[in-house]
Amino acid sequence: MIRPFNYHRASTLEEALRLMAKYQEDYKIICGGQSLLILMRQGLVAPENLIDIKRLKEMSYISYDPEKGLTIGATTTHREIEKSPVIEKYFPVLAEAEKNLASIQTRNWGTIGGNLAHGDPAGDPAPILIAANATVKMASVEGKRSLPLEDFTCDIFETVLEEAELLTEIQVPVLPKRTAIAYEKFSIIKNQQGIVSVAAWITMAENNTECKDARIVLGAAASIPFRAKEAEQMLIGKKIEKNLLSRAGKKASEECDPVGDIYATETYRRLLVKVLTEKTAQKAWEQAKAASSSGGTHA
Amino acid sequence: MKKKQLRLTVNGEYHELYISPKKLLVDILRDELGLTGTKRGCSTGSCGACTVLLDGMAVKSCSVLAIQAEGAEITTVEGLADGARLTPLQRSFLDHGAFQCGFCTSGMLMSATAFLEENPAPEDIKEGIQGNICRCTGYNSIIRAIKAVAESKYKEEGR
Amino acid sequence: MKKHPYSVINTPVHNIDGIAKITGRAKYTFDVTLPRMLHGKILRSPYPHAEIIRIDTSQAKRLKGVKAVLTGKDTLGKKQGIWRRFRELCDEEILARDRVRYIGEPVATVAAVDEDTAEEALDLIEVEYKPLPAVYEPLEAIKEGAPQLHEQAERNINVTRHIEWGDVDEGFQKADYVREDWFRCSSQAHVCMETHCAVADYTPEGKLTVYTSSQSHYYIKVLLAEILGLRENDVRVISRYTGGGFGSKFELDSAQFCSSLLSMKLCQPVKIVLTREEEFTATKRRTPMFYYVRSGVKKDGTFLAKEARVFTEGGAYTAMGATALYLTGFFQSFPYVWPSYRYDGYRVYTNTAPTSAMRGFGAPQATFCAETQIDLVANDLGIDPIEIRRKNAMYPGYEVPGQATIQSCGLDQCLDKIDQWIKSRGKLPPHRGIGIAAYGFMSGGIFNWFDTPYAFSSAVIQINIDGKVDLFIGSQDMGQGSNTTMAMICAEELGVKIEDIRLHMGDTENCPVDLGAWGSRETLMQGNAVKMAASEAKHQILQFASAKLTPNIVYDLDIKEGWIHLIARPERGLSYYDVVKEAIRGKDGQPIIARGHYTPHRKGMISPAYSFGVQAVEADVDPDTGKITLKNCVTAHDCGQVINPLGVEGQLEGAIAMAAGYGFTEDLPMDEGKILNPNLVDYMLLRATEMPETKVMEVETYEPEGPFGAKEAGEGLTNPTAGALGNAVFHAAGISIKNLPITPEKVLNALKEKKKK
Repeated sequence: MIRPFNYHRASTLEEALRLMAKYQEDYKIICGGQSLLILMRQGLVAPENLIDIKRLKEMSYISYDPEKGLTIGATTTHREIEKSPVIEKYFPVLAEAEKNLASIQTRNWGTIGGNLAHGDPAGDPAPILIAANATVKMASVEGKRSLPLEDFTCDIFETVLEEAELLTEIQVPVLPKRTAIAYEKFSIIKNQQGIVSVAAWITMAENNTECKDARIVLGAAASIPFRAKEAEQMLIGKKIEKNLLSRAGKKASEECDPVGDIYATETYRRLLVKVLTEKTAQKAWEQAKAASSSGGTHA
Repeated sequence: MKKKQLRLTVNGEYHELYISPKKLLVDILRDELGLTGTKRGCSTGSCGACTVLLDGMAVKSCSVLAIQAEGAEITTVEGLADGARLTPLQRSFLDHGAFQCGFCTSGMLMSATAFLEENPAPEDIKEGIQGNICRCTGYNSIIRAIKAVAESKYKEEGR
Repeated sequence: MKKHPYSVINTPVHNIDGIAKITGRAKYTFDVTLPRMLHGKILRSPYPHAEIIRIDTSQAKRLKGVKAVLTGKDTLGKKQGIWRRFRELCDEEILARDRVRYIGEPVATVAAVDEDTAEEALDLIEVEYKPLPAVYEPLEAIKEGAPQLHEQAERNINVTRHIEWGDVDEGFQKADYVREDWFRCSSQAHVCMETHCAVADYTPEGKLTVYTSSQSHYYIKVLLAEILGLRENDVRVISRYTGGGFGSKFELDSAQFCSSLLSMKLCQPVKIVLTREEEFTATKRRTPMFYYVRSGVKKDGTFLAKEARVFTEGGAYTAMGATALYLTGFFQSFPYVWPSYRYDGYRVYTNTAPTSAMRGFGAPQATFCAETQIDLVANDLGIDPIEIRRKNAMYPGYEVPGQATIQSCGLDQCLDKIDQWIKSRGKLPPHRGIGIAAYGFMSGGIFNWFDTPYAFSSAVIQINIDGKVDLFIGSQDMGQGSNTTMAMICAEELGVKIEDIRLHMGDTENCPVDLGAWGSRETLMQGNAVKMAASEAKHQILQFASAKLTPNIVYDLDIKEGWIHLIARPERGLSYYDVVKEAIRGKDGQPIIARGHYTPHRKGMISPAYSFGVQAVEADVDPDTGKITLKNCVTAHDCGQVINPLGVEGQLEGAIAMAAGYGFTEDLPMDEGKILNPNLVDYMLLRATEMPETKVMEVETYEPEGPFGAKEAGEGLTNPTAGALGNAVFHAAGISIKNLPITPEKVLNALKEKKKK
């Protein structure tokens, strides 16, 4: 059952930050509440104060700038991202991933900010955003700061947000030329949380045979979204071909740190990492090559 | 806990309530307003039996704090039919036997209604009800019912 | 095949509860509120096996808003069980007094002004337990020295069953080929959308009314009266709508018992609704089984001898587990002619949540094992899977020695249809396979372990002056559509339209007895009772019509669509509505009243009639991840005469979703008696996105035992899918997995093993 709390609705970002500074440790932010309310109903989380930022329209936006790239406000809903023509144009792999997240009902009300701030290592779409080199902006009464999303989650369900700090924006830089991102999530029931997920970014060199840059990010394979750096190193500067991808997949499966649970054993998770890494890297490579010949990018 | 005012419109009717902020939207609809068509089937926001429309969007009313619905327009299953005039979707459900025990049906109808509103000619109907569990029908009759409406086999009755 | 043209049955009518359900008007127990109603909660044991030393409820009682806190000491201390004929199997107190035997067993209950207060009060109840050694697996529990759950059950053996005919040893001697396999069938949760719930209302006259989500109001009434020490008919059980049952709601449950206890103490209504977590952990579930099956056949595939041995995980109490033990043994031989057969089943108590009835009742487990082995045998001998089944299929008139007489049987036609469909699929893409499974099931059981003196089903009809027919039945519609089926049978027999029927059900105060919706019995048993009543009512009306029409005695009268007429000369007739008016006047102003009933007598050991079918599952197996994707599921089903075609289709598709889930996604993993996935996030049942294309091909036969020749179409359909799915995987990937559910991990491990060889 939900324990009693004091309810505060913030009408501006400033008001929200002031309330957060006022209540310091003993508050929780509610926006879509799609993760929070479940925890509160089970009595696992029982804040003294609840600060509602759902109405902060100023934090709900999706825009693209040819220099700065994509910016998404933290209170933008998953469904808005899924349906956005801007996302479809500049970052379709994100729209695709959103489509496979939870349910339409959850996506209509839940937000990207809430999702990322929850710090779930199995959550979408963090791996894609990390693969795309995203940064997050945070604000408090003290000021603003930004950080690579890669450094945002520090442990299971824990982020580096300070006590009175709010996640306000996600920024994805413009993709370099000859770059593509591919993503795949493995689950038994569709839209379920992934047993394992992998996002792979490949940038091709100008000669279009070598890999110039690679970023491989794993979901549900460690206590945080995990960058398989050793696997990446195997690809960078090399001529990409099937054998190499297979070995990179194997490396990714060895360097990550998955657990066994009722969904899958550790062994099976590692195997899925291997299979999915190979698959997504292959897909990203093919798309990057195709984009190269048309002189563009594919995300 | 201090009660707060909640003003919202449900099925076209305006309501002013004093509620505890910890109440969920589903509790207000069922217990305060007596609209028991909307059900609860779980406590993890998984089953979709509590689905209602909030400003036209399908949401799980068990995962929305009632107080967050301030100023919103809610539609529940009771608000679909216009008197005796069922919606095309309701008629299609009847014709296709798209329900059995009926407990998930309200949520199913709300999801399907919102889905068709957004995509009158959808490619993938399964996506539209992915968030709703039905243990009785095996879903295919529900898909057929929604498909028939999407294919314009039903017209609005005498409007 | 006797066939008449039908006006109502076998036509796609609207479900008679349809408007109520699609407009949100249908009130389930979940929706019931009464004046001054309190809310109840149940405290449950965290230990799988423990003595209750002491319970201190004083703090809980003092919490503001709490009205009563009760424990097992506040009951009459009676043990109850649904197998009432066998007192030693009535072993469950529900609210434990001295000892708990599974995690989740109730130990105390609270009534308070609201749910939150009741929940808070639970935290304030202090229970001192003395944990006892526990045992979780049946094969461990029967060992010497294992912890004993019940005094009277030596080595924890709860029930045993033996079925035998022919000379099995001789059969194996004569066989050209013998094969033995071991299987493990998993548990499964019912996951009714409406959880178990009850609103109990005890009033100063000493009468108890219980609104409850149930499949058998009669059983609940009797069991409650017994355990509470009330007169049977001072208890009234009501609900018109039940939000799903699947076998979980015809035994007395903790919500019903605790709310009644509290209401009796307070003389106020008390409502208890189980949470989804309680639904998973503390209601009953499908019986896990450890199976050994050995078959002996001739090299041309003719079946000679079969031997099966089963140990089932009983959980802490008997519940309906004895029936599951018997039915699994019987349906292990189905639907084939086995010249000799031997089955030994042992149900073993374990410190886990009791296992009981779930759709199929032991037959899905049996069918999985039997059909998997048959495909393996066929493969070993180089025989086509359809042909080996055809060779040994049951046929109309076959007598299962000492067990059953098969009257109608369309199995051969079912095999034909599936054979045709498979051939139409042509060459399959790589990593895809089609597997089949043949099955049969009972249309209600002949057993009376409940020890009822009543007919198994009854119906009463009253016809009013405007021709409206009041039909009173005892059956319960939990979604399977029995309400519509009964209205259809009544309308067809009486010769009126379905709109002329007004159905009365779901209230033990006003309705006759029916044993409930389980064992797929309603269509045949309640249907027969309804038909009998309608026939009697029709007879009374025709007597009056005859007086008016004055036909020659050799001419028959009938009623069709409200028209009473000479069958030979249908244009000569009268309106039913007119004759009814005169009939009532002619009977001293009394409405026409008629009764019907049905009890199977001398119908063998299991059932008066059996449905049959063959199902094919087409599935892809991903060689890299082991993931299974269902593409098609086609079923040829013989349910005799179809009564409600929309209903049959719906039951089939629903059964596929549930049975496929049993085959490859659903499971209740446990750790020392604790269920690890008691929620709808972690418990994986199929959603719309996992459903394959489905097709139902009806094979019509005529079953003399059933109304209009009808048989069941509800549970039997759950039998084949796990086996057909397993066989599809076998044909797609060359691996046979005998341990349910068939998860991707098991598939991959099996593929790896296969590669090594």
